[in-house]
Amino acid sequence: MIEIILCIVIVLSAILALIQKDLFKAAILTGISGASVAVLFQVLLAPDVALTQAIVEGAIIPIFIALAVKKTQRSDG
Amino acid sequence: MADVQLVILLTSVALVVIGLYSAIFIDNIIKKIIGISFIEEGVNLFIVAIGYKAGGVVPILMPGMDTSWFATNAAYPLPFGLVLTSIVIGASTLAVMLALVMVLYRRYGTLSTKVMLADTSKREEYDE
Amino acid sequence: MNELIPLMVIVPLMAALLISAFSKFNTVTKIFAFVVAICLPLIPLLSNYGLHYFGGYEPILDGAANMMYHPAITYSFTFLQQIFIGAIGLLTFLVIFIYLTKYRKVSGPYLFLLFLGTAAVTAMILTDDIFHMFVFFEILALAQVGIVAASSIDYSYEMALKYMVLGSIGSPMMLLGIGFLLALTGSVNVTDIAAAVHNGLVDATSPVFLLSLALIFFGWLYASGLPPFHTIKSGIYSKAEPHGAALLQSFTVISMISIVLIMFRIYASLPIFEVLIVFFSILAMILGVSLALTQTDFRRMIGFLAVGELGFIGLGIGLGTNFSITAGLFQALNEIVITALLFIGFGAIVNATNEVDTRKLGGLLAYHPKVAIMLLIGGLAMAGVPPLSGFQSKLMLVQASLSCGFPEISILAIMVSIATFVVFVKTYYTMFLKPKPNDLELEGKEVPRAMIFAMGVLLIIVILLGIFPDVVTNGISNFVGGIL
Repeated sequence: MIEIILCIVIVLSAILALIQKDLFKAAILTGISGASVAVLFQVLLAPDVALTQAIVEGAIIPIFIALAVKKTQRSDG
Repeated sequence: MADVQLVILLTSVALVVIGLYSAIFIDNIIKKIIGISFIEEGVNLFIVAIGYKAGGVVPILMPGMDTSWFATNAAYPLPFGLVLTSIVIGASTLAVMLALVMVLYRRYGTLSTKVMLADTSKREEYDE
Repeated sequence: MNELIPLMVIVPLMAALLISAFSKFNTVTKIFAFVVAICLPLIPLLSNYGLHYFGGYEPILDGAANMMYHPAITYSFTFLQQIFIGAIGLLTFLVIFIYLTKYRKVSGPYLFLLFLGTAAVTAMILTDDIFHMFVFFEILALAQVGIVAASSIDYSYEMALKYMVLGSIGSPMMLLGIGFLLALTGSVNVTDIAAAVHNGLVDATSPVFLLSLALIFFGWLYASGLPPFHTIKSGIYSKAEPHGAALLQSFTVISMISIVLIMFRIYASLPIFEVLIVFFSILAMILGVSLALTQTDFRRMIGFLAVGELGFIGLGIGLGTNFSITAGLFQALNEIVITALLFIGFGAIVNATNEVDTRKLGGLLAYHPKVAIMLLIGGLAMAGVPPLSGFQSKLMLVQASLSCGFPEISILAIMVSIATFVVFVKTYYTMFLKPKPNDLELEGKEVPRAMIFAMGVLLIIVILLGIFPDVVTNGISNFVGGIL
């Protein structure tokens, strides 16, 4: 059951990230999607991949995007 | 109880499609890059799902395990090793792209790809 | 000395890391880069042919199914790898020599990118492991983007970002294709996958197998700059520094042939595979030459001609006989040398005039006669004029397509060669022979000696390969016999 909920969270947060006007929120939603994928990797019997994914896609990439947004502009358009 | 592998394959296809859509059609460059990271995530999820075995165990041989039981029940670890590498490659590619975007923003003052990546021939009006 | 095989990748990789770490010390960096660059072409010459298993894991023989399994990442080093790694090593040496003599203060990161790219293509052509190839394919893309972004030409960042966005779509597609192959065969070793396909363990007509072909093929089109990626590929050549562009096109050629050889070993049983390759190659030949005709920027022109030449390589491999693949690989070797010669030569002209528009140039023959003559010979070699090396490989390609029963393709190849000749001579005339425009300042600008030296070395190779093609083609033919 947990994997179905996770899949819905992943797809929803991916879509929400792309229709968001505020790019900071988009960055945070990318992180949510990445972290859910990390939990899904744990369900799929790959704990080592889950650890890497949680750090890289769950934390580092949102921070990179947020930094880039801070240096450029916050609103889309 | 739905088949775990099938659900996850469908999710990965959905991620790749969402990513491709945004990478091709969305104008904002940061959203394009976010879409690209979704494509990579979807592909990684797909490859990990290949190695999954329903009712299996984590492919780490602990002391005291019977090796032949382990060999028949453990998930296939080769795809996991590949995905580890591919996650790191994706992150570094994304970092380089964001760095280029930050440099280009200083020149154009906008994140729109129509302005930033226009053809050089139509470029005259943006030249200082 | 089989121990030297991994060193071909490790030496440039370690050199790249060390140089970027210690780039504060200018003189030391210069000397170190020069020494490593000399070593690069020498290592493949000294090494013996053979296989190298990383970690020492030998192949396992499964007695029940009578199959071999390769648990380790395998590097296979044969005559083909030797000749191509030697060529890329020599070219890297020349490019680094030009770079070191051009600037008093060298940039560590730029040298890092040059060495990194060399290491990546070396690993791509050596490896027998499709995922290992993918990893170095990504590293190569990053190195190429860096080389373009590091140049001082206008709009180089834009071109780099555009190339990178396209690449980030292309390479996950390729990874997905590799994932499909992994799902079908449970292995990423090319020999194992090919054996599984050959023994009928994989249904060659199943949609998953066809989809994996389509996805890897898409990645290959991106890597080699065949249509629809020809515009961006010629764009990155024109936005890089001339010596960087000479190296970039050789990276393209080598990544193209290493991916296509792997695809050939896996998918050769599918008839659609060869049709696809021939179709895209012919498209590249026609588009490359016709777009080159309309350019006024001569760097862009050479970029499109280089894309057109890639079509000849694909044509040879797509025809699928021993003779035609030999011709295609020989054409690849010639293209690396000839296009590098042209890029360096035209770069010398940019250096001397600060002008890239052919309409504003003219009368350069009187000012730079050495460059003019060497460029003329290089251009004639590219167009396929006897007795230069381009002639030998194109003759072989025409013969191969005739003997396969496709006279239309050989006529087309000859026509494209003639069109290449026309494009080159037209540009050459406007740059070197036409009377000099009055507003062109040429006095007191010299062409760097290192560029003349590099062109001379490449020119000697072009002429030698033209007179003695058998030295290379016999060895390549033996290699091709092994994979067919």
